Amino acid sequence: MSNTPGSPTLHSNAAMAVELTGITKRFGAFVANDGIDLAVHRGEIHAIIGENGAGKTTLMNILFGLLQPDEGSIRLNGEEIVIADPSVAIKAGLGMVHQHFKLVPSLSVADNVFLGMEIRRHGLIDHAAQITRTRDLSKRFGLQVDPTERVGLLSVGIEQRIEILKVLVRGARTIILDEPTAVLTPQESRELFQTLRSFVAEGMTVIFISHHLEEVMEVSDTVTVLRNGKKVATRPTAELSKDELVHMMVGREVSFDRRPRASLHGDVVLEVKDLWARDDRLLPALRDASFTVRSGEVVGIAGVAGNGQTELAEVLSGLRPASHGGAWLKGQNLTALSPAAIRQAGLAHVPGDRMVRGVDRNASIAANTLMGRQHRAPWSRGGMLNWNAINQNAETLIKSFDIRARGPSDAVKRLSGGNIQKVVLAREFTNGADFLLIDQPTRGVDIGAQEAIHDEIMRQRAAGRAILLISVQLDELAALADRILVMFNGRIMGEVAGDDADEERIGMMMAGVAAPEFAAETAS
Amino acid sequence: MEILDKLINVALIAATLRTTAPILLVALGGSFTTKAGIFNIGLEGQMLVGAFFAVLGSIWTGSALAGVACGVAAALVFALVFAVLVVSFKANEVVVGLALNILAGGMTISLMKAIFGTRGSIVGHGIVGLPKVQLPGARDLLGSWAPLISGFTPLVYAAFIAVPLLVVCYNRTRLGLYIRVVGEKPEAAEALGISITRVRYIASLLCGLLAGLAGAHLSLGYITMFTENMSSGRGFMAVAILIFSNGDPLKVLAGCLLFGFADAFSLRLQTFGYPSYLVLTVPYVVALIALFALSYRARPRVIAETLVTMRKLLSVDKNTEPGGKNPQ
Repeated sequence: MSNTPGSPTLHSNAAMAVELTGITKRFGAFVANDGIDLAVHRGEIHAIIGENGAGKTTLMNILFGLLQPDEGSIRLNGEEIVIADPSVAIKAGLGMVHQHFKLVPSLSVADNVFLGMEIRRHGLIDHAAQITRTRDLSKRFGLQVDPTERVGLLSVGIEQRIEILKVLVRGARTIILDEPTAVLTPQESRELFQTLRSFVAEGMTVIFISHHLEEVMEVSDTVTVLRNGKKVATRPTAELSKDELVHMMVGREVSFDRRPRASLHGDVVLEVKDLWARDDRLLPALRDASFTVRSGEVVGIAGVAGNGQTELAEVLSGLRPASHGGAWLKGQNLTALSPAAIRQAGLAHVPGDRMVRGVDRNASIAANTLMGRQHRAPWSRGGMLNWNAINQNAETLIKSFDIRARGPSDAVKRLSGGNIQKVVLAREFTNGADFLLIDQPTRGVDIGAQEAIHDEIMRQRAAGRAILLISVQLDELAALADRILVMFNGRIMGEVAGDDADEERIGMMMAGVAAPEFAAETAS
Repeated sequence: MEILDKLINVALIAATLRTTAPILLVALGGSFTTKAGIFNIGLEGQMLVGAFFAVLGSIWTGSALAGVACGVAAALVFALVFAVLVVSFKANEVVVGLALNILAGGMTISLMKAIFGTRGSIVGHGIVGLPKVQLPGARDLLGSWAPLISGFTPLVYAAFIAVPLLVVCYNRTRLGLYIRVVGEKPEAAEALGISITRVRYIASLLCGLLAGLAGAHLSLGYITMFTENMSSGRGFMAVAILIFSNGDPLKVLAGCLLFGFADAFSLRLQTFGYPSYLVLTVPYVVALIALFALSYRARPRVIAETLVTMRKLLSVDKNTEPGGKNPQ
């Protein structure tokens, strides 16, 4: 859409930090990038937005030399270049902060920053000089870190700062960030945006990948939208509204608004009281959690990943012992039961890591929808599986949950993330359980499937199920939950009613600050 | 007490240092591969060919130094084959390591038969052993304690000097840092343009070098002979030490000293007329006890978790716990 009125002219090459022309990348029969043109002005923050699987990361990996394009060419600052591997990209002044950090836990911050370009004296690494330079750089750009600390002990937010420092110390002038805010609290995101603006103020260029509309609207100068591997448009952010952006991303209107609901809270189904649990290192990960979930109610758990949500889900599903306290499902103490007994007592569990605990990726859809009830009629008779009944049931579920697959015998690994999640939902939601424990239902799922999954959760609510919804996505919780509990460092910091979910307040609690007026509210 | 005095004295400590040297050399070699993220079970084989070819080289050239060089060269060839298969062709490291160990055992036996026409051992034939280094002034300085620092073969000194060198290597040199990074977080190395393949090759070859020296020490050090399966499990001991030390040079040293002491102690016990079969098990028993003691720290948790699991299994049928009534 280079001919859109008001868009920057694409011919003044020298003003372009990055120009990609006709980039195509295929993985087998799948076209990840299809003739994409992208022009990024020097000194701007350029957002690349699109659903999961739209080809954002592939495109950036091509720019950084991690992948080679099948077709197309790359120009940096007006000069054509072949980026055979990342070292070429780094030499040309590009730097990339990956979605998954690549830091070495046993090394210090400074060692990690200078890894690959160590400062040496007499052939030995000069740790002191590295520490000083790291400190200088972190002060200059407001990236607070202690250069001497071991990376393994630091939080994700700080790890990201180290990754950015790594890029800066290599003299990058154009910085690519792949979904930088996915792991941050709203406050940390805001700090990151300030840092990005300070880069641009120094004449650097920032390209950042996101699928969060709000932050793209907030921080970027220009937006490029990708959909299904193709470029939809490049437009100045100021000219766009959020609705237009969504429309371009998904090709149709999607509502992010709060789902309409009737109030139908019934009896308490789950009661959690003074619950404590330890993580794999035996440190307390869940501290003194107490709450209830009623039938016909969706209770949301918000928090930055790794603040005890996983442990809570594992204790409730019997996968982790509680160290103190208990959780009662319709009067039965779950902490004393095995996972199978808990399911019998009325739990359905949509696990956060669906590829590990949700499905057997090599098995068929039919087998995956069978799991957990293989010993019951009509799926088995006299100790033998009744495949007719199993396949018929799978067929029905494929239809009713709109799973896009060829049939019940399709292997789950052939499906997209959203459809795999639908297989898990189809199995768990048809168990007749009264309590649904749903952990990150839309992680890595595209917007279309997200909507379908949200619809399904609301249907379960309307059917009178008690639902505990754990999610790191605030908009998801705001759309679905009746009440939102915010977790930080294993504790429930407070509670917010779903219909006045205020991102600011939730954000504060996610960062560990319990607002005083708020504590008063919960107490009452 | 008298027996204890006879058992434990300066000579025993000196013997400990002597018997520690070969396992320390091979374990330090393995430290490179361990740190680089390769589980190298082929140490035993590398050590064995090192010992065999050191003897061969020494007979052919009449020089102990050339013998050592031959042993190292042979171990390096084995290390190279290991690296080609494991690093370049991504073969399973345990399978390749075991195969090379078996190859080393069989090859040395059949070469022995082909060249010397004997089975069992090579003695005589003009094997030149390594000289003992008498440090000047040691006797003046330490008197009767002098055997603690003086009178060892060069490879014993090399083994102990290698420990601080490796510490410096891992903490202060680029190669050492890259070896650690490649082992701990390969994707970090890759992202920074550090060649994982190259670093792992270098680590494998450094390992071969030290394993070859260890083998040469066995056959040209204090006894100048080669016998079938001469390494007698030292390579595997080194693997065990490496697993528990995670390849850290100082912890490797501690583990090797323990094993060396047990080895020296068993040699001493033999001279007191205890049945040799029993006495020879001492080092291995000590190693087992040490491994058990080291892993004991993790045990309480294992037991606790087993108990929880058992309790849950037992409670499947009686679903309601007495205290589990819903407070509502």
